[in-house]
Amino acid sequence: MSKIGVFICHCGHNIAGTVDVEAVAEALRRVPGVALATTYKYCCSEPGQKLIRDSIQEQGLDGVVVAACSPAMHETTFRRAVASAGLNPYLCECANIRELCSWVHQGDPEQATAKAIAIVQTIVEKVKRDEPLEMLKLPITRRALVIGGGIAGLQTALDIADAGYPVLLVERSQRLGGKMAELSGTYLNFEAASDLLAQKIEAVTHHPRIEVLTEAEVVEVSGYVGNFNVRVGRLGTDKLVNWEGQAPSTNLPMYQSTELAVGAIVVATGYDRYPLSALPEYGAGQIADVIDTLAFEGMLATGGEIRRPSDGKVPREVVFVQCAGSRDPEHGVPYCSKICCMVVAKQATMYARRVAGGQAYVFYMDIRSAGRGYEEYVDEAMQKHGVLYVRGKVSRLFPADSKVMVWGVDTLSGRPIEVAADLVVLATPMVPSAGTAELAQRLRAATDADGFFAEAHPKLRPVESLTAGIYLAGAAQGPKDIPEAIAQASGAAAKVLSLFSHEEMTQDPLVAYVIEELCSACGTCVEVCPYQARSIHPVRNVAIVNAALCQNCGACVVACPNKASQVFNWKPEQFLAMVDAIF
Amino acid sequence: MRRALVVGAGIAGIQVALDIANSGYEVVLVERLPSIGGHMAQLSETFPTLDCSQCILTPRTVEVGHHPNIKLMTYSEVISVESVDGESGKLGHREAGEQVTNLPIYQSTNLPEFRVRIRRKAAYVDWNLCTGCGACQEKCPTKVISEFERGMGQRKAIYVVSPQAVPNKPVIDAEHCLYLTSKQGNSTTGVALHPADIEAGRVSAVGKPRRPRCGLCARVCPTGAIAFDQEDALFEERVNAIVLATGYDLLSPTRLPEYGGGRLPDVIDGLAFERLLSASGPTAGKIRRPSDGAEPKEVVFVQCSGSRDPERGVPYCSKICCMYTAKHAMLYKHHVPDGHAYVFYIDVRAGGKGYEEFVNRAAEEAGVVYLRGKVSKIVPQDGRLVVWGADTLSGQRVEIAADLVVLATAVLPAAGSERLAAMLGLASDGSGFYVPANAEIRPVESHVPGVFLAGAGLGPRDIPETVAQASGAAAKVLKLFAAARREGDEESEGNTEVME
Repeated sequence: MSKIGVFICHCGHNIAGTVDVEAVAEALRRVPGVALATTYKYCCSEPGQKLIRDSIQEQGLDGVVVAACSPAMHETTFRRAVASAGLNPYLCECANIRELCSWVHQGDPEQATAKAIAIVQTIVEKVKRDEPLEMLKLPITRRALVIGGGIAGLQTALDIADAGYPVLLVERSQRLGGKMAELSGTYLNFEAASDLLAQKIEAVTHHPRIEVLTEAEVVEVSGYVGNFNVRVGRLGTDKLVNWEGQAPSTNLPMYQSTELAVGAIVVATGYDRYPLSALPEYGAGQIADVIDTLAFEGMLATGGEIRRPSDGKVPREVVFVQCAGSRDPEHGVPYCSKICCMVVAKQATMYARRVAGGQAYVFYMDIRSAGRGYEEYVDEAMQKHGVLYVRGKVSRLFPADSKVMVWGVDTLSGRPIEVAADLVVLATPMVPSAGTAELAQRLRAATDADGFFAEAHPKLRPVESLTAGIYLAGAAQGPKDIPEAIAQASGAAAKVLSLFSHEEMTQDPLVAYVIEELCSACGTCVEVCPYQARSIHPVRNVAIVNAALCQNCGACVVACPNKASQVFNWKPEQFLAMVDAIF
Repeated sequence: MRRALVVGAGIAGIQVALDIANSGYEVVLVERLPSIGGHMAQLSETFPTLDCSQCILTPRTVEVGHHPNIKLMTYSEVISVESVDGESGKLGHREAGEQVTNLPIYQSTNLPEFRVRIRRKAAYVDWNLCTGCGACQEKCPTKVISEFERGMGQRKAIYVVSPQAVPNKPVIDAEHCLYLTSKQGNSTTGVALHPADIEAGRVSAVGKPRRPRCGLCARVCPTGAIAFDQEDALFEERVNAIVLATGYDLLSPTRLPEYGGGRLPDVIDGLAFERLLSASGPTAGKIRRPSDGAEPKEVVFVQCSGSRDPERGVPYCSKICCMYTAKHAMLYKHHVPDGHAYVFYIDVRAGGKGYEEFVNRAAEEAGVVYLRGKVSKIVPQDGRLVVWGADTLSGQRVEIAADLVVLATAVLPAAGSERLAAMLGLASDGSGFYVPANAEIRPVESHVPGVFLAGAGLGPRDIPETVAQASGAAAKVLKLFAAARREGDEESEGNTEVME
């Protein structure tokens, strides 16, 4: 005979205001196997938990039911309390008599009380048949893979490696630094971008715990959080080399093989610029003196005179066009690329400083200069450097003599504007870097409607992907500027460090399992499992469960024609007993 | 044991604390208010997904409350910090306002150590005995204007900040509690005087009219937790890293005389409108204007109320207002479909994932009218508010008779952050926000070794940016602790003899 303890929570007035909790206790005392049924004002409070712990020890209870709020709220709390009294935590269950009962039947105390009794009775029957379970323990490979060697990837790699863990940094191009290496300067630090970046690259390439592979790509990923297997190949050849193209260093023999085990993956694949050829109204890339902001960065970066591509003349009138494809659902991308307002303010300022007598115009829709010192920075561009800001869109660009004609509108005066420019700089949208979709597929990580990697939660989990163990840094997740990318890259590193701080992962043991004698290896469970947790054992020829991937959804239980697939502590006999309890 | 101190338990401090604690280190989390969650706990729904703020926040606050590695100290303030190691030993003696810009960046793997003094304010409730049953709050006869409800609702003199408060333990507001105020009147020793009240000159030991003692809460408390003789308590903690996550305040409408200077009841700020939208707020989620409880049919939202205004407000952009105003106007239209919402803006700044699309939805689907221009004046007239503005696109003056005006007031550093900065020798900018070691590439580190920064204390930012950055600050702490751990391991492997 079981000795179940039932603790009915008042939850202040939340439950007791509607449900007659004493009547529930009285009814439960008459249920066979219930050794104790009592009520308490707040079971989750420290005295409430103490009551549960003391009752387990004094009365030798072998199961506990807490009739209170949703298990999503306090199941962990009560299981922890039960465990500290020496009882297996999986012999404790919550009966939800708040969300499912008192809150929805406030006008009908009598019915609510009857329903509460029924709910608690069913859970008592379940607990009677629950088995004690142990937490699953899974090993963690404490090595990280960082994909992308731009500023975000560099920062993540450094933060992880400085904390003591080995990192493999895989970069597709020949060099590290990404888009930041193409910049002349950052907004606030005009000249220092290359120095700042060089420091980071230096630190990464000389770091004893970071191995860099350039011209390499992740070609295959399998496994799960803590235990990924990745195959890294040199582009095109699938042959492995280290970052200088030499033979892999001897102290890291893992790279000799094509497979590498890592525990966490950080995606820092950055962005690309939208192609000019996709902007027909702006010349579709056919006008030599219409360039994008990255090309203009290249001119500024040389430090020499600014000369336009067509004839090498110093441009006297330069028109900057913001939102050249951004915020334009019909012709370009629907989203705001976030960095362009500041990039253009910087470029216009630098142009004004370098070309005496030159005039810079900026066409804009809204000036988005939100950030420390950004507002002031744009004001300075206008007031100190004489950059002329025009609120409106540019409808068309076309070559005329040696100039580029710019047709636009000033929405503040309501008048059309025409500028004969020597050079036009387009702030084209930031788009996901080429190959993002394929990589996302290999990683089984989701992307959003715009093709960027999707974060697990837009507010509270911005650096995690929806796939456990895969984290996001920098513009791979969406347009962002350098400080934001760096802060987020460190954030992704923190998630990796948290994961690596444990020698092994523990996981809830409430997963599917197979009664092998009943299994006919038909493979139905393999097909229905949405988490790739099921497979057929090649030797024993029965279905097996990868507990690390199983999310306890129960799809296999329903699909299995032989009732061979089951979930721990949700067995068919438990369901039947629960139903029997109330009918 | 390596430990970190996190100052401020809004969403930034919560995220920092959880990331460090989940990595196996101890965290002391200090919060000035009686419960954690910060401004995020006041929000109704969050942009751009319209997730309920409380619903996504509560699991985090509960996790903090239960975490074995987090020592949560609410209703507490840091009163001093001293460095115990030699390297940054001058910390405690730095003058307020002294510029610290060229300090060497921390290189050593020696762990810094700080001695932190923390004052826990008297709650007049023994939280070890209190079960959070709420009987005291029900019986307390004194009603006080609620700060959490932005002045639009009431709380009792004994109260918890919000229904989902963590910890769910009440404090007694000594300024309004009948028992404590009458006790002060009778007292000759001044035992129960609240230090904050003495500082503010609100109470004195003599000349106070004697009121009847109350003590109802003590009588109804089932566990005898009411402790009228409780005093402020001082604690000392030793920590190896400090993260400041002190957050923001909003500019007081009293500093905006042209918008009524805080004297017009139906001119409210953004946080107040959040409370009106909130199901747990003073109007239970119904849009009712404060003056007469009527449902407002014409609502004007004024962006950049004090922001981007170097002459009268602050020079910088407050970054979050464009998005929350779009959300406010959209939710208002959901609540009051036949109402009209107008938004005055200078630029619409919707840079973020799904933000641009969200603003477009507000304008196109919800039918919010966006007017590009500033509001020059708000004047009361016949029970309504006349909003004088300009539409710079048509070049015309606009006048709207509104029932309610919501000001998106400027985001300021939280009160007291300059005091903390001075205490730690940190640099702060002209507006009082903390300055990072390098704005571009070291955004979460301060100039002082072992001190890191997270959240809106660094300048206005929204929740996702705050959370990502808070994890970034946690990474710096973890890195510091791990480096010191390795050094320690090497020493324990036989290198200790080398010390001279």
